[in-house]
Amino acid sequence: MNTPNHRNMKLLLLAALALVASMALVACGGGGGGGISEGQNNEDVTTAEGGTADSGNLQISNWPLYIDGKTIDEFDQSSGLKTKYTEDVNDNNEFFGKVQPLLSSDDSGGRDIIVVTDWMAEKMYNLGFIQNLDKAKLGTVEENMIPSLKSPEFDPDRAYSVPWQSGMTGIVARTDLAPDVKSINDLFDPKYKGKVTMLSEMRDTVPLVMAADGIDPKEATTEDWMNTIDKLKENVDNGQIRDFTGNDFVQDLAKGDVVAAIGWSGDAVQAQADNENIEYINPEQGCSIWSDNMLIPVGAPNPEAAYAFMNYVYEPENQAQITEYVNYVSPVSGVKEILTQKDPAVANNELIFPSEEFTADCFAQVSPPGDEAEVKEVEQAFQDVVTG
Amino acid sequence: MTKLRQRLLPYGLLGPGLIWLVLFFVIPMYFMGELSLKTGSLESGYQLTWAWENYTDGIFDYTTQFGRAFYYAGVATILSLLIGYPLAYAIAFKGGRWKNLMLFAVIAPFFTTYLIRTIAWKTILDDTSPVVSVLQFLQIVPEDGRVLATSAAVIAGLTYNFLPFMVLPLYASLERLDQRFIEASKDLYASSRQTFIRITLPLTMPGIIAGILLCFIPASGDYVNSTFLGGTNQAMIGNVIQSKYLVVNDYPEAAAISFTLLLLILIALLAYIKFAGSEALMGDEEERTS
Repeated sequence: MNTPNHRNMKLLLLAALALVASMALVACGGGGGGGISEGQNNEDVTTAEGGTADSGNLQISNWPLYIDGKTIDEFDQSSGLKTKYTEDVNDNNEFFGKVQPLLSSDDSGGRDIIVVTDWMAEKMYNLGFIQNLDKAKLGTVEENMIPSLKSPEFDPDRAYSVPWQSGMTGIVARTDLAPDVKSINDLFDPKYKGKVTMLSEMRDTVPLVMAADGIDPKEATTEDWMNTIDKLKENVDNGQIRDFTGNDFVQDLAKGDVVAAIGWSGDAVQAQADNENIEYINPEQGCSIWSDNMLIPVGAPNPEAAYAFMNYVYEPENQAQITEYVNYVSPVSGVKEILTQKDPAVANNELIFPSEEFTADCFAQVSPPGDEAEVKEVEQAFQDVVTG
Repeated sequence: MTKLRQRLLPYGLLGPGLIWLVLFFVIPMYFMGELSLKTGSLESGYQLTWAWENYTDGIFDYTTQFGRAFYYAGVATILSLLIGYPLAYAIAFKGGRWKNLMLFAVIAPFFTTYLIRTIAWKTILDDTSPVVSVLQFLQIVPEDGRVLATSAAVIAGLTYNFLPFMVLPLYASLERLDQRFIEASKDLYASSRQTFIRITLPLTMPGIIAGILLCFIPASGDYVNSTFLGGTNQAMIGNVIQSKYLVVNDYPEAAAISFTLLLLILIALLAYIKFAGSEALMGDEEERTS
C-alpha cells in the first residue's frame, strides 16, 4: 500500500500545504519582527551636523504625490548634490513601525530627511529618534516661514521640525447630491445613510466628531474619546458610515457612491479640478489643522545637505512650484504673490492660502490625552471600529 | 565513490529548497511564535512573559472576524468550484484546438497585479455602474441598495481572484482522465449523468480537493478584497492582523492572531483530510499504476 512513490507524494503535498499556509500568513501579516528597544529619552538630543552641502548624497522619505516632478532635479543641479527621493511614507504608524528598529540603534537607514505629521514628529522626538536643528544654518527657513506656523504647541521654537506642507481636515461633499451638509452632525443624517465615509486616521476623524457634539477636543478626556468612538460604532452598525478611508475618499465622491466625507483640503482641491461639484466645506464647529514636518533623524549621513534642501524649498520661487502641484497650504510666505502672477486660480484659493477668518474656528490637530498605554487603548478602540 | 554520490544526490537536490525554507519559514516562524508570547510596546520594547492571554484575547475579541473570514472564504470556494468545474470540463473535453488559448485566458488576469485586479472591481460594482443597474432592475438588489461595500462584493472579489487556483488543478485532473473509463461506462449502458457521478467525479476528486485547498487557505487570510470592496463591518481576520501590525503596532497580539489562524486552518485541513481521506487527496497511485 505505502509504496515509496506514494509516501513521497504525501510528503510533497504536505510540504506544499505548509508553504501555502505560510503564504496566507505572509499575505496578511505584512511586516514582522519585533523591534526591541530600550526606552530612550530626549535628554541628550544631538544637534544635526556634519556632511557636505555641495556634493554627495541626500536621501528624503516623503508621502506619495507630495512634490512636483521638477523640484528635485533642479535642486540637484543648483546644489551639486545627488538626491534620492523616496515616497515610502504612507501612514504615520506604518512608517514608525518600519523605521523604529533602525532608529532605536541610531541608524536612519540612509535617510537625511523624513516627513511625518505633527503628533508623530513629537512622539519620535520624545523617543530620541530626531536631532535638533542648527538654526544658524536655516536662514531662509527662518526668514520665510509663515508666522502662524512658527510656534506650534508640540515644538514651540521649531527646534527640530520644519513644516513641509499644512492642510485642513473638514468635510468634503458633493454639492449637487448633498447641498445642505454644513456640520459634521449632518453626516449622521439618516437620509445620507450608507453614503458617508470618514478617515481611517483617528486623529482626523474623532476630534471633528467630538467638536460637533460640543466637546472641546483640546480639553477632551480619555472618556470623551471613548464616547465618541462608541458613537462612531453605533453609526457603523446602523449602516450610516459606509467605510473608513485614506485618500481614496475622493474617488468615491467623484463616482457619487459617497456624497459627503471627512477628508483633507488638498485632495479636495485636486478633485475639484476634475469635478466641480466636489467641494471642501469648513465644518460649522471648525476644522482641524495639521502639518507634515521635515525632520532630521538620528544617524542621518548628511545633515548639511538636509539643511541645504530645507532652505531651498523655503525660497518662495521654488515653493511656488511645489504648491502649484500639491495644492496644500504652503508654509512659506511670498508664495501667494508669485502665484498671483503665474496661476491666479491657485493664488485665490482659500484652501491653499486660507485667510485668518477662514480658519478662525479651526483647532490644531489633537491626540488622545494620557500616557502611552492610554493612547494605545484609544487607538485600539478606534481600530476595532474600523475593522469591526 | 559512485555509490556515495548516489546516496548524497537526494540531499543535494533537497538542499536549496530546504535551506530556503529553514531561513525564510522556520526561523521567522520561531521568532513570530516567541513574539506572540511577549508583552510591552514598540516604544519600550517587548519582554517574553509567556503571555498566553494574547491568544485568548485574540480569539475572543475577534471571533466575529475569524468567523467572517471562514464564511467568506468558504462561500467563495464553493462558488469557485461551481463555476470552475464546468469551465475546466469544457476546456479539457470540448476545448479542441482552442484548449491552449482558453487555458491562457484563465491565467491571463495574473499578468495584472492582484491589487489592480481587485481595485478594478470597485469600478465594476460602483453604485451607478451598469452591472448594479441591471441587478436593481431585476430586483436582486433593492432600488436604493448597493453592491460595493457589502459582503457580496467581498465574496465576489474573492471568488474572482481565486478562481484560477480552482480551475488549474481541476483541469489537470480532468485532462489526465482516461477516456476509456468513460467509454466503458457508456458501453455498460450508464447514462451521461451516471457516468459523470460514478466515473468522472470520483476520478477527478484529487483535483477538486487540491482546488478547494488552494482557494480556501489563502482566501481565509486575505485582507485585500475586504479592504477595497468591503465597507464597515466586513473586515476579515486578515484586516485585524494588518491593523494590529501596521496601525496599532501591537506586534505580539498580531503574531498571536496569525498563529491562531494558522492553527485553525491546520485543524480544518486535518479534519478535511480525515473526512475526504488521504487516498482521495493523493489519488490512489497504486490503483492507477497497476
